[in-house]
Amino acid sequence: MDLSLETRQEDGHTIIEVGGEIDVYTAPKLRDKITELVGNGEYNLVIDMEKVDFLDSTGLGVLVGGLKKVRAHDGSMRLICNQERLLKIFRITGLAKVFAIHGSQADALAER
Amino acid sequence: MLSGGRLGATGTATGITVSIARDPALVRTVRLVAAAVARRATGDEDFVEEVRLAVGEACALLVGTDGDLTGDAGPVLVQMMIDRRLRVVVTAAGAVADHDAPTSDIDGVEPWALLRGLLEDFEITRDAAVTTLTLSWPL
Repeated sequence: MDLSLETRQEDGHTIIEVGGEIDVYTAPKLRDKITELVGNGEYNLVIDMEKVDFLDSTGLGVLVGGLKKVRAHDGSMRLICNQERLLKIFRITGLAKVFAIHGSQADALAER
Repeated sequence: MLSGGRLGATGTATGITVSIARDPALVRTVRLVAAAVARRATGDEDFVEEVRLAVGEACALLVGTDGDLTGDAGPVLVQMMIDRRLRVVVTAAGAVADHDAPTSDIDGVEPWALLRGLLEDFEITRDAAVTTLTLSWPL
């Protein structure tokens, strides 16, 4: 399964809905999308991972890279993830403490 | 290239070897094969998912991106064997970096952290020409 990316604006944030597999092959596509958005001045990103089937360390690296990019502009990156198999990956790598991980878009957008 | 041994007979040596070019697009194929092998070993879907993730991760690290690997280009060889344990050996020519480049987008993600966190039995062996990752699970 390839990677699907859909973006929309809501409440001052850019929501990227990601679907499919984020791996060594597809992660550059997500990286390019984040780079494009930051280049367009969109510094508050919400990455919705509810439709992500697979995530490896390459994908994690892209998320970390994206977080650094938005923070360089005093922006934010929030993740939406309810899937235990993905949350486990964030915990194992210590990144659960790095990212703000929310259970829903409403929760992510409600954080101030 | 895909070659199979005797599949499914409990207690017999079972082996599958997959050889892929260093093309990131092919790592998914290895993950699918690894999941199928794990599923034949146990009906535990959590275990299958763990194997799929770990084998994909090991393979991705050796396939590399953007010149991560040094040394002669060549295939990545993935051997999967079941004999009381599920044992997966991933081998490729060249040395994979221990650390990310400071300017890399993946700076901050230790490349082996996921594998070390997933598996109790994980080994990295390097000699001058070859890197071998060995992953093993009890069955």
